[in-house]
Amino acid sequence: MATSPQPAPLPSRKRPGISRRLLICATASALLATAAGCGSATNSQGGAASDGLITLSMHNPDSKTQDPATYELVQEFNAAHPDMKIKLEGQPVEQHEQRMTIAAQSDTLPEIFWVYDSLAKTMVKDGDLLDLTPILDEDNLKTKFAPSMLAGFQADGTQYGVPYQALITGFYVNKDILGEHGIALPKTFDELLAAVKKLKAAGVVPIAQGANNSSFSVWAFLTMLDRFGYEEKYPAILSGRVRYDNADFLRLYRHVRELAEAGAFPANMSTQTYAQAVASYMAGKAAFLDAGVWEAAKIQKSKVGRSTDFWAGPTFSDGVGEQKIVMNVPSAPFVVSAKVKKDKKKYAAVKAFIQFYYSDAGQKILVDNAQPPVTTYKPDVDTASDPVFAAVLAAAAKPGWKSPEAQPDLVVSAATASAMYDSFYGVMGGSLSPEEAVRSVEKTIK
Amino acid sequence: MNWLTTRRHFALMIAPALLIYSLYMIYPILYSLYYSFTDYDGVSATTFSGLDNYRHMAADPVFWTSLRNTGVILGIALLLLIPLGFLLAVLLSGRVRGSGALRALVFAPAIVAPILVGLIWIFILDPQIGLVNAFLLAIGVPAHPQWIGGPTLSPYSIAFVYLWQQIGFVLTIFYAGIRMLPRDVLEAAGLDGATRLQQLRYIQIPMLRETFGIVTALVVTGVFKVFELVFALTGGGPVHLSEVMVSYMYHITFTTQQYGYGMALAVVVFVVGALASGATFLGNRRREKQS
Repeated sequence: MATSPQPAPLPSRKRPGISRRLLICATASALLATAAGCGSATNSQGGAASDGLITLSMHNPDSKTQDPATYELVQEFNAAHPDMKIKLEGQPVEQHEQRMTIAAQSDTLPEIFWVYDSLAKTMVKDGDLLDLTPILDEDNLKTKFAPSMLAGFQADGTQYGVPYQALITGFYVNKDILGEHGIALPKTFDELLAAVKKLKAAGVVPIAQGANNSSFSVWAFLTMLDRFGYEEKYPAILSGRVRYDNADFLRLYRHVRELAEAGAFPANMSTQTYAQAVASYMAGKAAFLDAGVWEAAKIQKSKVGRSTDFWAGPTFSDGVGEQKIVMNVPSAPFVVSAKVKKDKKKYAAVKAFIQFYYSDAGQKILVDNAQPPVTTYKPDVDTASDPVFAAVLAAAAKPGWKSPEAQPDLVVSAATASAMYDSFYGVMGGSLSPEEAVRSVEKTIK
Repeated sequence: MNWLTTRRHFALMIAPALLIYSLYMIYPILYSLYYSFTDYDGVSATTFSGLDNYRHMAADPVFWTSLRNTGVILGIALLLLIPLGFLLAVLLSGRVRGSGALRALVFAPAIVAPILVGLIWIFILDPQIGLVNAFLLAIGVPAHPQWIGGPTLSPYSIAFVYLWQQIGFVLTIFYAGIRMLPRDVLEAAGLDGATRLQQLRYIQIPMLRETFGIVTALVVTGVFKVFELVFALTGGGPVHLSEVMVSYMYHITFTTQQYGYGMALAVVVFVVGALASGATFLGNRRREKQS
């Protein structure tokens, strides 16, 4: 610089203007190029002629091991339909929900996908989902479902979803552990509380629960909400006529505190994940496990398989209404992108897949993989080879017991559902009093 | 050289970087700011809701908990991480046998992904299966503190794990700074009878002022990005008592699908982070001018 023969010329007044214009032009070009790039990606997905290839996007990254029923169904479908093909993909639940949200924003939803009902309801309002009524009407497919299995996935006369799997939830119970301590399988809350105290005194973890990144794992407690009148109350709660922090729900949360104070839950419940809670139960380290039918196959193969029974949960002497309630409801739905309608081949492939999934052959694949059928198909389960799955199905079909139409968290917004999970775990862990817990849920209801 | 100094050519040279910066930094910030004034749910059309999200934030106890927890981590990082990192660098810069291996050992956690660091520390801090409580039990201490997963200690434990993870990085910067110091100044001080402590206090620390400034800025900005550690160690629990600002923002945006509120939290994280970083840089500049 010092040896430069001539000093740098002073810039004229015009030059900064040129620079600014240059920058603006370059910025605008880049933005246009990006916008064009986004646009073309969307267009090519929406408008290109297809070859009958559709994508089924699920809530787990490895369906082959994590959801073998769906994996096998897809393999069978692809083998039976050489002119169509389903590509199965997935991510863990949270990432999957994020991805579907972003895909809805950018109009790049996969053809069929699993999604939580709260997000599906938002998508249907926005016109992102296909009305499945014509597909269900064809060949009387609709008659294969119990009305309650489809009722939860309707909005403004649109059948926007079909049940992915049935959700039977409750407690898995290790009969050997109970037997060792002279405890009979409890039926009422008082019996459960007594069992918890006895188990705790003997150094056994009574109920395996894991909240770390899995606060949703409170299924048995959501069923208990229904034993305090949730199903009758929730429409009024959502419309603001009744509060969530009502005296009935508060009684339930006080019972949960009683369980917590009796030492029902593991000390590391907050740092343990749901998967670790399941592992601790399967290792014979806990007497009860709060879970659902999806764990039946795994538990069956574990060392506690032979000693496991399934229980719908305790009845309450101070509950509200029907106490003989077992949660046997449709889980989150399969939904179809509205764009599928524009492509005949894709539409045909989606229709064929839905018809295959809910056919008796499709439902048999579910049952063979220890998943309950979602249609009226009557499964033939061998209690000798599949004792845990048989126990779950028996609990779900117990005479005199009935199911609510939907699981409590599936009929509210994601924010309220999340607050419900936190409210139970908060009381279980002693971070929230029952009063604070019900209030925290009430605050999320708009 | 002359070509480079004209404004036109200068503008041309910086344009690509400015474009990329605008697209990937400025645009998302403005985008977040816009959505923070709406009730966006991630899918439906947005409705302008004014300052509702910010009012909601002011009344949200979990937000204040997350802010306090971020402050705890920042405080521990400033009070312990920087002094400890410096002291270790001083110790290892001396003629210590095996100091190279020790430096590598101390630096090792910094190259492990934070999510793995979290998983490793679960096995150490977990109240039931963790090594710390097992050790306490072995030496006859009956108490089983809830290092993580309890309502009190979680943020401190997270801060400690962050310290463990970052100390090698901080040490390395200080070590490089110490190695750059002119040896003759220290030798002269030694000949004049200055003790090791006096050399440290009156020569090394003043000459490393710029390094301290850089480390402080890096630590402050780093604290506002802590996420994976919380995610792996506690998931923000129990009931959000160990959330930091970023993890709470993630929970609100992606778990509860309140994108509008989540963007308002993102804006506040950005503003608080920018203010803290700005204050650090300003302090550094002031000290530079004074020296």
